[in-house]
Amino acid sequence: MARLLSFIDTRPQFASPKSALLVENNESLLTFLRTSLKNEGYAVRTAASRDEGLRAYRDFSPFNVVLIDYCVPPSNGARIAHWALPQTSGTALAMEIREMNPSQKMIIAAFDYQNAGQVPRPPELMNIPLLIDSRNFQLPRLLEKIEVERAIEALTPSDLLRLQRSADYRVQSLGRAACGRTGEDLLSEAQLRTLMGAGATREGRHWNKQVDFVWHLTGAMRSISSCWKRQFKDIEPYLISEFPIHDAEGQGHSPLDNVASGDAAADQLLIEKDEEDRVLATFKDDPEATQVLQGWLDGLTKDEIMSEYGLRKQYAAVVRRILKLLGRRNGGSRG
Amino acid sequence: MKNMADKKNRDERLERLMDRLAESVLGLSDEAILAETSEAGADPQRVAERTRLILRQASKALDNVHKHLSDLGHTVNSNDWYRGHSGYHNTCATCGSFVSFAAATGEMRGEALDGPCPESDRYAYRRREASR
Repeated sequence: MARLLSFIDTRPQFASPKSALLVENNESLLTFLRTSLKNEGYAVRTAASRDEGLRAYRDFSPFNVVLIDYCVPPSNGARIAHWALPQTSGTALAMEIREMNPSQKMIIAAFDYQNAGQVPRPPELMNIPLLIDSRNFQLPRLLEKIEVERAIEALTPSDLLRLQRSADYRVQSLGRAACGRTGEDLLSEAQLRTLMGAGATREGRHWNKQVDFVWHLTGAMRSISSCWKRQFKDIEPYLISEFPIHDAEGQGHSPLDNVASGDAAADQLLIEKDEEDRVLATFKDDPEATQVLQGWLDGLTKDEIMSEYGLRKQYAAVVRRILKLLGRRNGGSRG
Repeated sequence: MKNMADKKNRDERLERLMDRLAESVLGLSDEAILAETSEAGADPQRVAERTRLILRQASKALDNVHKHLSDLGHTVNSNDWYRGHSGYHNTCATCGSFVSFAAATGEMRGEALDGPCPESDRYAYRRREASR
Protein backbone atom coordinates (compact mmCIF):
# COMPACT_ATOMS: atom_id res chain seq x y z
CA MET A 1 0.00 0.00 0.00
CA ALA A 2 2.13 2.80 -1.22
CA ARG A 3 1.63 6.24 0.19
CA LEU A 4 3.16 9.18 -1.48
CA LEU A 5 4.31 12.12 0.52
CA SER A 6 4.49 15.23 -1.52
CA PHE A 7 7.26 17.65 -0.97
CA ILE A 8 6.36 21.26 -1.36
CA ASP A 9 9.36 23.47 -1.45
CA THR A 10 8.74 26.90 -0.06
CA ARG A 11 12.38 27.85 0.01
CA PRO A 12 11.83 31.43 -1.19
CA GLN A 13 10.17 32.13 2.17
CA PHE A 14 12.85 30.71 4.44
CA ALA A 15 11.95 30.92 8.06
CA SER A 16 14.51 30.74 10.81
CA PRO A 17 15.07 28.24 12.34
CA LYS A 18 14.15 25.66 9.71
CA SER A 19 10.53 24.62 10.02
CA ALA A 20 8.45 21.84 8.56
CA LEU A 21 4.75 21.07 8.36
CA LEU A 22 3.95 17.38 8.36
CA VAL A 23 0.42 16.23 7.47
CA GLU A 24 0.05 12.54 8.20
CA ASN A 25 -2.68 10.54 9.92
CA ASN A 26 -0.72 7.33 10.52
CA GLU A 27 0.82 7.57 13.97
CA SER A 28 3.82 5.36 13.15
CA LEU A 29 4.68 7.23 9.96
CA LEU A 30 4.18 10.50 11.75
CA THR A 31 6.60 9.49 14.50
CA PHE A 32 9.18 8.27 11.99
CA LEU A 33 9.02 11.36 9.81
CA ARG A 34 8.93 13.75 12.74
CA THR A 35 12.03 12.05 14.17
CA SER A 36 13.79 12.17 10.80
CA LEU A 37 13.02 15.87 10.33
CA LYS A 38 13.94 16.76 13.91
CA ASN A 39 17.23 14.91 13.51
CA GLU A 40 17.93 17.19 10.58
CA GLY A 41 17.34 20.26 12.72
CA TYR A 42 13.78 21.10 11.72
CA ALA A 43 11.13 22.44 14.06
CA VAL A 44 8.19 20.23 13.11
CA ARG A 45 4.49 21.10 13.25
CA THR A 46 2.14 18.20 12.62
CA ALA A 47 -1.44 17.74 11.46
CA ALA A 48 -3.44 14.54 11.18
CA SER A 49 -5.96 15.57 8.51
CA ARG A 50 -6.38 17.73 5.44
CA ASP A 51 -8.35 20.41 7.33
CA GLU A 52 -5.95 20.51 10.23
CA GLY A 53 -3.06 20.74 7.77
CA LEU A 54 -4.69 23.62 5.95
CA ARG A 55 -5.29 25.49 9.22
CA ALA A 56 -1.68 24.91 10.28
CA TYR A 57 -0.42 26.20 6.95
CA ARG A 58 -2.58 29.31 7.14
CA ASP A 59 -1.66 30.03 10.75
CA PHE A 60 2.03 29.22 10.80
CA SER A 61 3.45 29.52 7.30
CA PRO A 62 5.98 30.03 5.93
CA PHE A 63 7.53 26.58 6.32
CA ASN A 64 10.78 25.50 4.76
CA VAL A 65 9.29 22.13 3.92
CA VAL A 66 5.73 20.86 3.73
CA LEU A 67 5.16 17.11 3.68
CA ILE A 68 1.68 15.87 2.87
CA ASP A 69 0.55 12.29 3.04
CA TYR A 70 -0.99 11.33 -0.28
CA CYS A 71 -3.72 9.44 1.61
CA VAL A 72 -4.49 11.90 4.35
CA PRO A 73 -8.20 11.91 5.29
CA PRO A 74 -10.29 15.03 4.70
CA SER A 75 -10.95 15.77 8.36
CA ASN A 76 -10.15 14.42 11.78
CA GLY A 77 -12.03 11.28 12.72
CA ALA A 78 -13.76 10.96 9.36
CA ARG A 79 -14.49 7.37 8.45
CA ILE A 80 -13.92 7.01 4.75
CA ALA A 81 -14.73 3.61 3.35
CA HIS A 82 -13.23 4.15 -0.06
CA TRP A 83 -9.57 4.80 -0.54
CA ALA A 84 -10.01 7.33 -3.34
CA LEU A 85 -11.48 10.08 -1.19
CA PRO A 86 -8.60 10.43 1.26
CA GLN A 87 -6.25 10.26 -1.67
CA THR A 88 -8.05 13.11 -3.39
CA SER A 89 -8.00 14.91 -0.09
CA GLY A 90 -4.20 14.79 0.04
CA THR A 91 -4.02 16.10 -3.50
CA ALA A 92 -6.56 18.80 -2.74
CA LEU A 93 -4.58 20.03 0.23
CA ALA A 94 -1.40 20.21 -1.83
CA MET A 95 -3.24 22.16 -4.54
CA GLU A 96 -4.71 24.59 -2.04
CA ILE A 97 -1.31 25.25 -0.55
CA ARG A 98 0.08 25.79 -4.00
CA GLU A 99 -2.62 28.34 -4.68
CA MET A 100 -1.68 30.15 -1.51
CA ASN A 101 1.96 29.98 -2.42
CA PRO A 102 2.48 29.97 -6.20
CA SER A 103 6.24 30.23 -5.79
CA GLN A 104 6.63 26.52 -5.26
CA LYS A 105 6.96 24.60 -8.51
CA MET A 106 7.26 20.89 -7.95
CA ILE A 107 3.91 19.79 -6.60
CA ILE A 108 2.79 18.14 -9.82
CA ALA A 109 5.98 16.15 -10.07
CA ALA A 110 5.64 15.17 -6.45
CA PHE A 111 2.33 13.49 -7.17
CA ASP A 112 3.76 11.38 -9.92
CA TYR A 113 5.07 8.10 -8.53
CA GLN A 114 7.46 7.81 -11.42
CA ASN A 115 9.13 11.03 -10.47
CA ALA A 116 9.01 10.72 -6.72
CA GLY A 117 12.80 10.37 -6.60
CA GLN A 118 13.29 13.55 -8.62
CA VAL A 119 11.32 15.90 -6.44
CA PRO A 120 13.64 18.74 -5.48
CA ARG A 121 14.25 18.98 -1.77
CA PRO A 122 16.81 20.32 0.68
CA PRO A 123 20.00 18.23 0.57
CA GLU A 124 19.76 17.21 4.22
CA LEU A 125 16.42 15.53 3.52
CA MET A 126 17.52 13.56 0.50
CA ASN A 127 17.46 10.33 2.50
CA ILE A 128 13.91 10.65 3.79
CA PRO A 129 11.73 8.36 1.69
CA LEU A 130 8.93 10.12 -0.19
CA LEU A 131 7.23 6.92 -1.13
CA ILE A 132 6.46 4.80 1.89
CA ASP A 133 5.03 1.34 1.76
CA SER A 134 2.76 1.49 4.77
CA ARG A 135 1.90 -2.22 4.76
CA ASN A 136 5.56 -3.09 5.11
CA PHE A 137 6.32 -0.07 7.23
CA GLN A 138 7.62 -1.05 10.63
CA LEU A 139 8.57 1.90 12.74
CA PRO A 140 10.85 0.16 15.26
CA ARG A 141 12.82 -1.43 12.43
CA LEU A 142 13.25 1.88 10.65
CA LEU A 143 14.28 3.75 13.78
CA GLU A 144 16.69 0.95 14.64
CA LYS A 145 18.10 1.09 11.13
CA ILE A 146 18.68 4.83 11.38
CA GLU A 147 20.48 4.40 14.70
CA VAL A 148 22.56 1.47 13.43
CA GLU A 149 23.58 3.36 10.30
CA ARG A 150 24.58 6.34 12.38
CA ALA A 151 26.62 4.09 14.64
CA ILE A 152 28.45 2.66 11.61
CA GLU A 153 29.34 6.11 10.35
CA ALA A 154 30.53 7.09 13.83
CA LEU A 155 32.98 4.17 14.10
CA THR A 156 36.57 5.39 14.14
CA PRO A 157 39.26 3.74 12.01
CA SER A 158 40.67 2.05 15.11
CA ASP A 159 37.20 0.72 16.06
CA LEU A 160 36.87 -0.74 12.59
CA LEU A 161 40.34 -2.29 12.68
CA ARG A 162 39.64 -3.88 16.06
CA LEU A 163 36.36 -5.28 14.75
CA GLN A 164 38.02 -6.70 11.66
CA ARG A 165 40.87 -8.31 13.61
CA SER A 166 38.47 -9.73 16.16
CA ALA A 167 36.31 -11.17 13.37
CA ASP A 168 39.34 -12.75 11.72
CA TYR A 169 40.40 -14.47 14.95
CA ARG A 170 36.86 -15.69 15.58
CA VAL A 171 36.74 -17.32 12.17
CA GLN A 172 40.17 -18.83 12.68
CA SER A 173 38.92 -20.33 15.92
CA LEU A 174 36.31 -22.25 13.92
CA GLY A 175 38.84 -24.33 12.03
CA ARG A 176 37.03 -26.61 9.61
CA ALA A 177 33.67 -25.33 10.86
CA ALA A 178 34.36 -22.01 9.15
CA CYS A 179 33.48 -23.79 5.88
CA GLY A 180 35.34 -21.19 3.85
CA ARG A 181 33.81 -18.21 5.61
CA THR A 182 35.98 -15.20 6.35
CA GLY A 183 36.05 -12.53 9.04
CA GLU A 184 34.24 -10.26 6.61
CA ASP A 185 31.41 -12.78 6.31
CA LEU A 186 31.13 -12.87 10.08
CA LEU A 187 31.00 -9.08 10.35
CA SER A 188 28.42 -8.88 7.61
CA GLU A 189 26.27 -11.50 9.34
CA ALA A 190 26.52 -9.68 12.68
CA GLN A 191 25.39 -6.47 11.02
CA LEU A 192 22.47 -8.15 9.26
CA ARG A 193 21.25 -9.75 12.45
CA THR A 194 21.48 -6.42 14.21
CA LEU A 195 19.18 -4.91 11.60
CA MET A 196 16.79 -7.81 11.93
CA GLY A 197 16.89 -7.51 15.69
CA ALA A 198 14.53 -4.61 16.20
CA GLY A 199 11.66 -6.93 17.03
CA ALA A 200 11.29 -10.40 18.41
CA THR A 201 12.98 -11.98 15.42
CA ARG A 202 14.32 -15.49 15.73
CA GLU A 203 17.66 -14.68 14.16
CA GLY A 204 18.10 -11.07 15.18
CA ARG A 205 20.45 -9.58 17.73
CA HIS A 206 18.94 -6.64 19.51
CA TRP A 207 21.37 -3.78 20.08
CA ASN A 208 20.96 -2.65 23.64
CA LYS A 209 21.96 1.00 23.36
CA GLN A 210 23.56 0.91 26.80
CA VAL A 211 26.56 -0.87 25.27
CA ASP A 212 28.54 0.72 22.48
CA PHE A 213 28.20 -0.56 18.96
CA VAL A 214 31.63 -2.20 18.86
CA TRP A 215 30.82 -4.29 21.93
CA HIS A 216 27.45 -5.16 20.48
CA LEU A 217 28.96 -6.37 17.20
CA THR A 218 31.68 -8.36 18.93
CA GLY A 219 29.04 -10.03 21.11
CA ALA A 220 27.00 -10.80 18.01
CA MET A 221 30.06 -12.27 16.28
CA ARG A 222 30.83 -14.46 19.30
CA SER A 223 27.31 -15.79 19.31
CA ILE A 224 27.16 -16.33 15.53
CA SER A 225 30.51 -18.11 15.38
CA SER A 226 29.43 -20.43 18.23
CA CYS A 227 26.25 -21.12 16.30
CA TRP A 228 28.23 -21.94 13.14
CA LYS A 229 30.39 -24.29 15.18
CA ARG A 230 27.36 -26.07 16.65
CA GLN A 231 25.71 -26.38 13.25
CA PHE A 232 28.89 -27.81 11.78
CA LYS A 233 29.16 -30.38 14.55
CA ASP A 234 25.62 -31.52 13.77
CA ILE A 235 26.43 -32.20 10.13
CA GLU A 236 30.18 -32.72 10.28
CA PRO A 237 31.22 -35.48 7.89
CA TYR A 238 33.39 -37.83 9.91
CA LEU A 239 36.31 -39.47 8.27
CA ILE A 240 36.18 -43.24 8.41
CA SER A 241 39.40 -43.09 10.37
CA GLU A 242 37.54 -41.31 13.17
CA PHE A 243 35.27 -44.30 13.84
CA PRO A 244 36.80 -46.92 16.09
CA ILE A 245 36.06 -50.57 15.43
CA HIS A 246 35.80 -52.92 18.40
CA ASP A 247 37.19 -56.45 18.30
CA ALA A 248 35.75 -59.46 20.08
CA GLU A 249 37.52 -58.44 23.32
CA GLY A 250 36.03 -54.98 23.14
CA GLN A 251 39.34 -53.33 22.21
CA GLY A 252 38.96 -50.25 19.99
CA HIS A 253 40.88 -50.17 16.72
CA SER A 254 40.94 -47.65 13.95
CA PRO A 255 40.05 -48.97 10.48
CA LEU A 256 43.36 -47.47 9.42
CA ASP A 257 45.45 -49.36 11.96
CA ASN A 258 46.86 -51.45 9.18
CA VAL A 259 47.76 -48.58 6.89
CA ALA A 260 50.60 -46.08 7.02
CA SER A 261 49.20 -43.65 9.57
CA GLY A 262 47.86 -45.11 12.77
CA ASP A 263 46.24 -41.85 13.85
CA ALA A 264 42.56 -41.26 13.44
CA ALA A 265 41.79 -38.15 11.36
CA ALA A 266 45.50 -37.70 11.16
CA ASP A 267 45.24 -34.98 8.56
CA GLN A 268 42.97 -32.80 10.68
CA LEU A 269 45.02 -33.37 13.81
CA LEU A 270 48.07 -32.30 11.86
CA ILE A 271 46.44 -29.13 10.57
CA GLU A 272 45.42 -28.08 14.09
CA LYS A 273 48.72 -29.15 15.60
CA ASP A 274 50.49 -27.22 12.86
CA GLU A 275 48.56 -24.04 13.61
CA GLU A 276 49.25 -24.33 17.32
CA ASP A 277 52.93 -25.01 16.65
CA ARG A 278 53.12 -22.13 14.21
CA VAL A 279 51.73 -19.71 16.76
CA LEU A 280 54.08 -20.97 19.48
CA ALA A 281 57.06 -20.97 17.13
CA THR A 282 56.46 -17.29 16.37
CA PHE A 283 57.30 -16.61 20.02
CA LYS A 284 60.08 -19.15 20.55
CA ASP A 285 62.44 -16.37 21.69
CA ASP A 286 59.88 -14.79 24.01
CA PRO A 287 59.34 -17.07 27.03
CA GLU A 288 56.74 -14.78 28.61
CA ALA A 289 54.61 -14.75 25.45
CA THR A 290 54.93 -18.53 25.23
CA GLN A 291 53.69 -18.84 28.81
CA VAL A 292 50.65 -16.65 28.13
CA LEU A 293 49.87 -18.56 24.95
CA GLN A 294 50.21 -21.89 26.76
CA GLY A 295 47.89 -20.55 29.44
CA TRP A 296 45.31 -19.58 26.82
CA LEU A 297 45.62 -22.93 25.10
CA ASP A 298 45.09 -24.67 28.43
CA GLY A 299 42.06 -22.54 29.18
CA LEU A 300 43.55 -20.58 32.08
CA THR A 301 42.06 -17.24 33.00
CA LYS A 302 44.06 -14.03 32.98
CA ASP A 303 44.40 -14.13 36.79
CA GLU A 304 45.47 -17.77 36.72
CA ILE A 305 48.12 -17.03 34.09
CA MET A 306 49.41 -14.03 36.01
CA SER A 307 49.77 -15.95 39.25
CA GLU A 308 50.97 -19.22 37.66
CA TYR A 309 53.80 -17.59 35.74
CA GLY A 310 54.38 -14.51 37.92
CA LEU A 311 53.41 -12.15 35.11
CA ARG A 312 51.24 -9.82 37.12
CA LYS A 313 52.96 -6.65 35.93
CA GLN A 314 53.97 -7.79 32.48
CA TYR A 315 50.72 -9.44 31.37
CA ALA A 316 49.26 -6.48 29.41
CA ALA A 317 52.56 -5.79 27.66
CA VAL A 318 52.97 -9.46 26.77
CA VAL A 319 49.48 -9.57 25.26
CA ARG A 320 50.29 -6.51 23.17
CA ARG A 321 53.46 -8.21 21.91
CA ILE A 322 51.46 -11.31 20.97
CA LEU A 323 48.84 -9.32 19.09
CA LYS A 324 51.44 -7.23 17.37
CA LEU A 325 53.42 -10.17 16.03
CA LEU A 326 50.38 -12.23 15.07
CA GLY A 327 48.82 -9.16 13.48
CA ARG A 328 51.94 -8.73 11.38
CA ARG A 329 51.78 -12.40 10.45
CA ASN A 330 48.06 -12.35 9.53
CA GLY A 331 47.40 -8.79 8.50
CA GLY A 332 49.89 -8.27 5.72
CA SER A 333 47.49 -9.51 3.09
CA ARG A 334 44.88 -6.80 3.81
CA GLY A 335 44.57 -3.33 2.48
CA MET B 1 38.38 -43.44 21.07
CA LYS B 2 41.55 -41.85 22.31
CA ASN B 3 42.13 -40.30 18.91
CA MET B 4 38.66 -38.77 18.81
CA ALA B 5 39.31 -37.31 22.24
CA ASP B 6 42.66 -35.97 20.99
CA LYS B 7 40.94 -34.33 18.07
CA LYS B 8 38.35 -32.72 20.34
CA ASN B 9 41.09 -31.56 22.65
CA ARG B 10 43.10 -30.02 19.78
CA ASP B 11 39.96 -28.32 18.48
CA GLU B 12 39.20 -26.86 21.85
CA ARG B 13 42.77 -25.66 22.49
CA LEU B 14 42.94 -23.80 19.20
CA GLU B 15 39.45 -22.40 19.68
CA ARG B 16 40.39 -21.13 23.15
CA LEU B 17 43.51 -19.48 21.80
CA MET B 18 41.72 -17.68 18.96
CA ASP B 19 38.88 -16.67 21.27
CA ARG B 20 41.35 -15.05 23.63
CA LEU B 21 43.03 -13.27 20.75
CA ALA B 22 39.65 -12.05 19.49
CA GLU B 23 38.87 -10.66 22.96
CA SER B 24 42.33 -9.22 23.55
CA VAL B 25 42.40 -7.27 20.33
CA LEU B 26 39.46 -5.22 21.59
CA GLY B 27 41.62 -3.96 24.45
CA LEU B 28 44.29 -2.48 22.16
CA SER B 29 44.62 1.29 22.24
CA ASP B 30 43.85 3.35 19.13
CA GLU B 31 47.53 4.08 18.61
CA ALA B 32 48.50 0.43 19.00
CA ILE B 33 45.96 -0.96 16.52
CA LEU B 34 46.75 1.72 13.93
CA ALA B 35 50.49 1.19 14.32
CA GLU B 36 50.18 -2.58 14.12
CA THR B 37 48.17 -2.41 10.94
CA SER B 38 50.76 -0.15 9.36
CA GLU B 39 53.59 -2.39 10.54
CA ALA B 40 51.82 -5.35 8.96
CA GLY B 41 52.20 -3.54 5.66
CA ALA B 42 48.57 -2.47 5.26
CA ASP B 43 47.08 1.01 5.04
CA PRO B 44 44.98 1.41 8.25
CA GLN B 45 42.64 3.95 6.67
CA ARG B 46 41.98 1.72 3.72
CA VAL B 47 41.41 -1.41 5.81
CA ALA B 48 39.10 0.53 8.13
CA GLU B 49 37.03 1.94 5.28
CA ARG B 50 36.78 -1.48 3.71
CA THR B 51 35.36 -2.79 6.99
CA ARG B 52 32.89 0.10 7.12
CA LEU B 53 31.84 -0.74 3.58
CA ILE B 54 31.14 -4.35 4.58
CA LEU B 55 28.82 -3.12 7.33
CA ARG B 56 27.10 -0.70 4.97
CA GLN B 57 26.67 -3.37 2.31
CA ALA B 58 24.94 -5.69 4.75
CA SER B 59 22.38 -2.92 5.45
CA LYS B 60 21.98 -2.30 1.77
CA ALA B 61 21.39 -5.98 1.02
CA LEU B 62 18.51 -6.08 3.50
CA ASP B 63 17.11 -2.78 2.22
CA ASN B 64 17.24 -4.01 -1.35
CA VAL B 65 15.29 -7.14 -0.64
CA HIS B 66 12.64 -5.23 1.34
CA LYS B 67 12.31 -2.60 -1.36
CA HIS B 68 12.11 -5.16 -4.15
CA LEU B 69 9.35 -7.07 -2.36
CA SER B 70 7.53 -3.89 -1.48
CA ASP B 71 7.62 -2.73 -5.12
CA LEU B 72 5.93 -5.99 -6.06
CA GLY B 73 3.23 -5.47 -3.45
CA HIS B 74 4.39 -8.25 -1.13
CA THR B 75 4.19 -7.83 2.61
CA VAL B 76 7.08 -9.25 4.60
CA ASN B 77 7.54 -8.97 8.30
CA SER B 78 11.13 -8.05 9.01
CA ASN B 79 10.91 -10.01 12.26
CA ASP B 80 10.18 -13.20 10.40
CA TRP B 81 13.47 -13.69 8.57
CA TYR B 82 15.04 -16.99 9.54
CA ARG B 83 18.41 -18.47 8.72
CA GLY B 84 18.37 -21.38 6.34
CA HIS B 85 21.16 -23.28 4.66
CA SER B 86 21.32 -20.95 1.66
CA GLY B 87 20.65 -17.63 3.39
CA TYR B 88 17.73 -15.85 5.04
CA HIS B 89 14.20 -16.92 4.25
CA ASN B 90 10.80 -15.27 4.58
CA THR B 91 7.30 -15.47 3.11
CA CYS B 92 4.81 -12.85 1.96
CA ALA B 93 2.20 -12.43 4.68
CA THR B 94 -0.48 -11.85 2.03
CA CYS B 95 0.10 -14.51 -0.63
CA GLY B 96 2.52 -16.84 1.18
CA SER B 97 5.11 -16.87 -1.57
CA PHE B 98 8.67 -17.58 -0.59
CA VAL B 99 11.79 -15.42 -0.81
CA SER B 100 15.38 -15.84 0.26
CA PHE B 101 18.55 -13.83 0.05
CA ALA B 102 22.19 -14.61 0.62
CA ALA B 103 23.85 -12.50 3.31
CA ALA B 104 27.25 -12.53 1.63
CA THR B 105 26.21 -11.54 -1.89
CA GLY B 106 22.76 -10.01 -1.42
CA GLU B 107 21.48 -12.35 -4.14
CA MET B 108 17.68 -12.80 -3.96
CA ARG B 109 15.70 -15.88 -4.92
CA GLY B 110 12.17 -17.22 -4.65
CA GLU B 111 8.74 -17.19 -6.21
CA ALA B 112 7.90 -13.88 -4.54
CA LEU B 113 10.27 -12.23 -7.00
CA ASP B 114 8.50 -13.71 -10.03
CA GLY B 115 5.84 -11.01 -10.12
CA PRO B 116 3.43 -8.79 -8.21
CA CYS B 117 1.69 -10.18 -5.16
CA PRO B 118 -1.52 -11.80 -6.54
CA GLU B 119 -3.41 -10.94 -3.35
CA SER B 120 -2.51 -7.31 -3.57
CA ASP B 121 -5.00 -5.93 -6.14
CA ARG B 122 -5.74 -2.90 -4.10
CA TYR B 123 -2.11 -1.96 -4.10
CA ALA B 124 -1.90 -2.24 -7.87
CA TYR B 125 -5.05 -0.12 -8.35
CA ARG B 126 -3.79 2.66 -6.15
CA ARG B 127 -0.48 2.75 -7.89
CA ARG B 128 -2.14 3.02 -11.26
CA GLU B 129 -4.41 5.81 -10.11
CA ALA B 130 -1.62 7.70 -8.51
CA SER B 131 0.52 7.78 -11.61
CA ARG B 132 -2.13 9.48 -13.68
